[in-house]
Order: sequence, then structure tokens, then C-alpha cells
Amino acid sequence: METAVFRLEGVTKRYGDLVALDNVSLDVGVNEYVSFLGPSGSGKTTLLRVIAGFEKPDAGRVFFEGRDITFLPAHERGVGFVFQNFALFPHLTVIKNVGFGLTHGKSPLPAAEVDRRAREMIAMVGLSGMEGRGVDQISGGQRQRVALARTLAMQPKLVLLDEPLGALDANLRGRMRNELRAIRERLGVTFLHVTGSENEALAMGDRVVVLDRGSIIQTGTADDVYEAPASPEVAHFLNRFNLFEGKLANDQFTGPFGAVVAPAARKSDRDIYAVRYDRMRVKPVSAQPEGPALKATFVASEYLGSSIMSFFETGDGHVVEMEHHLSLGAPDIYEPKQDYLLTWNPDQAIVFGREAR
Amino acid sequence: MTDTTASGPRKDRTTSLLLLPGIIWMALFLITPILMIVYVSFWTQTTFNISPDPTLASWKQFFSSDTYIGSLWTTMRIWLIVLATTFIVSYPTALFVGLLVKSKTLSTILLVICIIPFWTSFLIRVLAWRPMLGKEGAINIILQNLGIIQQPIEVLLFTELSVIIGMTQIYCLFMVGPIAFMLARIDRNIIEAARDLGAGFGRIFWKIIFPLSLPGVVVGAIFVSVMVLGEFATSGALSGRKVNLLGNIIVTQVGSLKWAMASVVGVILTVVMGIVIAGFLRIVDLKRDL
Repeated sequence: METAVFRLEGVTKRYGDLVALDNVSLDVGVNEYVSFLGPSGSGKTTLLRVIAGFEKPDAGRVFFEGRDITFLPAHERGVGFVFQNFALFPHLTVIKNVGFGLTHGKSPLPAAEVDRRAREMIAMVGLSGMEGRGVDQISGGQRQRVALARTLAMQPKLVLLDEPLGALDANLRGRMRNELRAIRERLGVTFLHVTGSENEALAMGDRVVVLDRGSIIQTGTADDVYEAPASPEVAHFLNRFNLFEGKLANDQFTGPFGAVVAPAARKSDRDIYAVRYDRMRVKPVSAQPEGPALKATFVASEYLGSSIMSFFETGDGHVVEMEHHLSLGAPDIYEPKQDYLLTWNPDQAIVFGREAR
Repeated sequence: MTDTTASGPRKDRTTSLLLLPGIIWMALFLITPILMIVYVSFWTQTTFNISPDPTLASWKQFFSSDTYIGSLWTTMRIWLIVLATTFIVSYPTALFVGLLVKSKTLSTILLVICIIPFWTSFLIRVLAWRPMLGKEGAINIILQNLGIIQQPIEVLLFTELSVIIGMTQIYCLFMVGPIAFMLARIDRNIIEAARDLGAGFGRIFWKIIFPLSLPGVVVGAIFVSVMVLGEFATSGALSGRKVNLLGNIIVTQVGSLKWAMASVVGVILTVVMGIVIAGFLRIVDLKRDL
């Protein structure tokens, strides 16, 4: 228990009839980077706001450093919050923004000390020389850094980031990802990062917490979640799996591709057969593959730099995606509107079913 | 490239065409009258006649008369007091309507309620204060019946106080509107961020909310100033002719066909307003902040 800096116990939050958080429990250690992944409306922002103290839970407890902080006001928690739209003070300069909490917080510091610490934070996020700029005179990425510096200047033990990279363009997002991780490692504080992007969640978190409709549906390292999604929903959010509906019976999954042996199926409330995009193989329609096969028409492909995504459409209108890593060699060229056979190694498929043990 | 050269002159012509009605209107009904007022202020005025012979007589008369100079100071004093009272009444109202009320619909309804007094005419709104404030008016009767006072308070009506009360009531809406608008535009996350950084309500108000609402205060102050400086009706109806503003002087002078003197006062009033507006605009950069 010494290592758990932060704990949620059965936190529930309702807005009228809508259950935003349903009995959420979680332990977070010191010096950990946890990312929360979920679609919009999954309750991830509400969870962050409950932890920050902007919302009171209807049931459950929030513990921080061994203290029950469930009903403590936001500023007494020692928890920093980085807003999605940065929420910088638009009429103040960069250094005034960063020093705001130190000057106007509950234990104000002398001006010289505020200045020193604010400059130190500005240097840490790489904005030295911009102290005197207005926050409307800097770019989006720089604003993001100011928001981070402003929160970190208060030396919180826990930093909450609400989709911190959502307002940035793709290029900047990649750079800020690395930087966020580096800053966190330097300071040794715990970051809770909420995101709707599966790439971001997998890339950033030491641990990924997947939320759906107010409940945690999986917790684990990025590897765990990616290699072994706990439910069809997780597989769906990861956006890396072709999901086929069908029926699991007697260790056999019957789907649009026929019947396949599925000895290691996982218990779920739906029968779903999941194959990762990069596990799919494409064969000419005349081939006789060993494994399961599905006839589909090639639609188009998308070049992603390190890989190529190809899209196929099955007879019932279902789109199947196939990812080819370019490091594995030049891609095959497919003819649009031609039929191909899609196949995969059934050992690599992940099967969910009501009948699974 | 060919596109821009082709559309360049056409665009210019469209711009001038769009500007033309405004320019004509302003030239006819704003620039020309102002120039005329300046011109007429130098005309020679005799008791029953006015002639365009240039003279400084009216100007000298204005600055050598205690009555006229006194009314200039009265105007300034009333303006500053009304500016202060409208601000004191309006800011908390705007704070409630623009910031504390969370529902947009409710805050719109509240603003509309503020406008309801404007459904009656200006003069009726002013005159309605008489039965309220008079010696046998509503306020005195209520206070007497409650036993708080024995004798009616006579300073309530036909004094500077009644003029200030009347003007505050009429003009505070022009202050509430712009301030509420600026407050409503403040991102709530900013306030939460300040709270999360440990700032208490007082600090959040003085360091965040008030500075961000300042453009609204300035716009409201300009509205109120322009209207109060040119006032004559409220002071005429509620002061019992004891408070003479520059506006009242103009009305009297025009009434007795003293066009030259009325023009002098008009020019002075215009200059005062110009200085006041320029002063307010120095406080904030409206182009940037609005």
C-alpha cells in the first residue's frame, strides 16, 4: 500500500439518469504514467474531474497519499490539472501565468522566489526567452507547455491531463508525447492522462486503463492491452482489430469465413472473432490456404509511412482492414474491384464468446 | 494571378459602393451639423436677431458667467457620480447574469427582464419617479407607515439626489449589458484552473475576472458617459430646475432663439465627450480585447 499514491474506491457519479461513472476502483502507484482510454461519453473526463475535485462523486471514496480527499476542495488536494484547451489566463504573460499559483495560491511566496521558480519551470518546458510574451502571441504547442509549466510549478504529486494533446496538430502531438514523458520522468510525479486516441494511450502509458460507459473494462500495460484485449469493446477501441460476428460453440467459431477451431476463447457477453490488421494475409482468389479464408473485394489502400493499410469489402458489406509493415518487404499490388482471399493464422486470432470458459 | 488583377479594381469599386450610403449619411447629418455648430458659435447675437458677422462675444460670455461655468462643473459632477452609481449597481448584476447563472437561457431571460422598463417611453420612465420620491410619494408613505420616519424626507425629490437616482435607473442597463457580455465570454475552465492553483474567490475575482471584464466596463462607461453628458430631460423633470446641466442650457438658449450661445455650449459638450471617450479608450485596447 506504500506505493499506491492514489486510490479510487467504488466511485460513482450520476447526472440525472445518466451514470457517468459506475463503481470505479483503481490503484495508482508513485511515479507512474497512467493513460485512460475510452470513447467520448465513457466517463473519462468525469473521472478526472472527480479526482481533481471539480465534481463530487455520488458514492465511493478518493484517497490520495493515504488521505481521504473525497470532499476536499480542488485547491487543497495538491493535484495539478492540465485542461484540454489549456485554460491559460489570456490577459497575463507567460511568466505571470506560470507563477500564478505561486503568487495567488494558498501559501503565497515572495516575489523573487516566484520569479525564480517560474523561470525554472519555463526553462524545463523549453520556453526560455518567452517569459514576457502574452499567451496569445505564442503557438499552440507553446501554450500547451505554458499550461504544463503552470501546473508543475505548484509541485503536485499527481498531475491530471485532460486530452492534453487534442488541440495540437499531428506533428506537434508526436513531439509533445515524448516531451511529456521526459518531463514526467525528470520530476518523478504520477501523471494521469485522459485520451480518446488509442495510439496516444498505448504510446504514453506505463499502464493503460480502458473505460467504457462509466466502467473500467481493462487495466494493464500497453502490451497486455494490445496483445490481449479483455473484451470485444477494448479490441474495438484499440482500432487495430477486424471484428467478425458469429457463434461460438464447442470450441468452434462459426463466422462469415466458415467454422474455425477456437480453443482459447475468452468469456464475453458477445460472440466476436478478432484478428489484428497486421495478422491478415492476402492471397489470390484461386489459392488454397490452410487456415480460415474469407473472400473480399479490394477497395483501396492508404500509405502510412511505415506501413500500408489496405481495405477490402466482404460480400455482406463488412470492411476488413489489412496492415502491411513495409519493413517486411515491398507490398503486393492489388487490383481495385478484384476479389482476393483474406486469411490468417487462427492461433493468432482472439475469440470472445458466451460459451467460453 | 490574373484572378487578383481582374478582381482588384472590381473589389475596390464594391467597397466604395458599400461605403457610399454611410459616408453620405454621416456627411449630411453628422459632419455638416457639427461644422455648422462651430460656425454659428462665432455669429453675432443680438436680442432678436442673429447675423453671421464673426465675433467671440458668445464664447467670452460663456467663460465669464458663473451660471455657465457652474453648469459645466455640475455636468461633470453629476456625470462622475452617475458613472460611479451605475457601475456599483451594474457590476454585481452583470456578475450574476453573465457568470454565476450557468444556464444560457436563464441569463438571456434575465437580460430581457432588465430591458422591460424600456418598453415605456423615456419621459414616462423619468416622470414615474415623481410619485415614488415625492413628499407624499410611495417611499415616504411606506417609511412613515413602518414608523421608521416621522416627517417625510424632502430631499428625495427636486434635488440633485433625485436626478442621480433617476439617471442611475435609466442608464444602468447600458452598463449591465456590455459587462455581462464580457463576463459570459470568460472560459469557465480558466476560473477552475485558477481555483486548482489555489487562488481564493477574492484573488480569482481581482486577478482574473475583473481584468477580463474591463473592456465591458469601458464600453458601458462610454455609453453611460455619452448619454449622461448630453442629458437634459431627467434633470429638467426631477430637479425642479435646481440642477442645470449643459444640456438644459442648450434647451433654454434654443427656446429663446439664442442660437450662438446654444452653439457654444454644444461645441464645449462635444469637446468634453471627445476627451472622455478618448480617455476611456486609453484604458483598454478594444480592438484586441473584444
